[in-house]
Amino acid sequence: MMEWLKVVGQKSLAAIREVGRLAELLWRILLNLAPWRFDGPETWRALYRVGVQSVGIVVITAVLTGAIMVIQSGMYIQQYGAYGLLGWGAGYSVLREVGPIMIGLMFSGRVGANNAAELGTMKVTEQIDGLRALAIDPVAYLVVPRVVAMLVMMFLLVIIGNFTALVGGAITSQLILGVDIEVFFWSLRTYLEMADFWHGVGKSVGFGFAIAVISCHFGLNVRGGAVGVGRAVNASVVGSAIAIFMLDYLVSFVTI
Amino acid sequence: MGRIEFRDIYKSFGANTVLRGVDLQVDAGSVHYIIGQSGAGKSVLVKHLIGLERPDQGRVFVDGEDVTRLSERELYPLRKRCAMVFQHATLFDSMSLLDNVALPIRKHQKVDEERARELAARELERVDMEEYADRYPADFGDGMRKKVAIARALTLDPEFVIFDEPTTGLDPPSADMVDELIRDLSDDLGVTSIVISHDLRSTFRVADRIAMLYKGELRLKGTPETFRQTDDPVVRQFIEGSPDGPMEEPDG
Repeated sequence: MMEWLKVVGQKSLAAIREVGRLAELLWRILLNLAPWRFDGPETWRALYRVGVQSVGIVVITAVLTGAIMVIQSGMYIQQYGAYGLLGWGAGYSVLREVGPIMIGLMFSGRVGANNAAELGTMKVTEQIDGLRALAIDPVAYLVVPRVVAMLVMMFLLVIIGNFTALVGGAITSQLILGVDIEVFFWSLRTYLEMADFWHGVGKSVGFGFAIAVISCHFGLNVRGGAVGVGRAVNASVVGSAIAIFMLDYLVSFVTI
Repeated sequence: MGRIEFRDIYKSFGANTVLRGVDLQVDAGSVHYIIGQSGAGKSVLVKHLIGLERPDQGRVFVDGEDVTRLSERELYPLRKRCAMVFQHATLFDSMSLLDNVALPIRKHQKVDEERARELAARELERVDMEEYADRYPADFGDGMRKKVAIARALTLDPEFVIFDEPTTGLDPPSADMVDELIRDLSDDLGVTSIVISHDLRSTFRVADRIAMLYKGELRLKGTPETFRQTDDPVVRQFIEGSPDGPMEEPDG
């Protein structure tokens, strides 16, 4: 019994410490978010690596997502002959939910994992301590540029992703269901509102911030060499996915 | 200016006690070598000086100021005065050698980009690495990376420099060059240096004072002559490099 209590106590303390470290990192990020405090060249480098190099994978994911939405709803559309609702159905689900979530998960797997691995490797090879020894704050120099880059790029990538998903959906509806592309976009314009678009884009900025903070946190707290880096990458991807779904749930609950 | 004092330092990592009440004074402008087995706590001890480690007990004084209670941000002015060359160089993989050396200049000196690169190139020249300025750390072995790390550490004209095994992995001429550099920093510029080393040839050639750590405690301190003449069997075994003797492996 005592042994069991000891294990529970240790696990609880470890979890509280983890949350404390995450909160401390969040606070230090907010303190360093003023534009004159973070490093310009490092921010540009992060924007390029996070954004430009993610466009390809986002476009592929988005086109397929748009196509899948059309195929899934196609059966019911054909059954009821409701071709005029196809664009609305696909657009509503892509813009508000599936687009931001799919792109967020891809972003977490590609950018967040890469980020956790890079910072983790810097930690175990003492490069982070090297920065501190040079009187350079690792949060201001390494973390804030990455957070800014992930926020900005999630915003832009979700806009690009939404557009390509709708194009993918429109082409699929023409090729597979025989619904004219013009009808698809007419349905979109008629039944969807800009609020649907901004709902998804707004959430994606939150997802970007969560992925950035979580991946930086696990990267900076790596212990134990290569094995520790592997664990950090794993924790970053899982933690980011959980954060994405929790945020999505909260936003859906609040805005319904 | 430039005096360092470690007073009664204790440090543990979990159940492993690394330092057990270490007292050490380093005079301004001197070259102080710290020797001892791998795992004896040498690197841990010197990291306390710039706040990369915090003692469980004890104090570190720099010019009479207690630096153990300073916050991370309050330590930055001290870190600009006190450079550290790490055991594994810790160059930034994503930057060229020139950018590595230019980084502290860019961050702490109000100079334009061209001037920062010019100053960085001059530091690389000091360690004979200027011809590789645009190459990346991954292209080089430990020895050459360490020379660049030394160049980077000296960019801000520090008053104190901590060298953690500066000649390990260097070829003999490069090791001699680094030894000379450490000596010149002290003789010409009055820089206080703490050097961790296993290179006893360098130690006896360059050191003003030597301290030996053994099992987390200071075993012997004094001049190179003190070490040459000591009868302490542990110290004798270490400096003679003998596998037989009373010396035990460090804990943990």
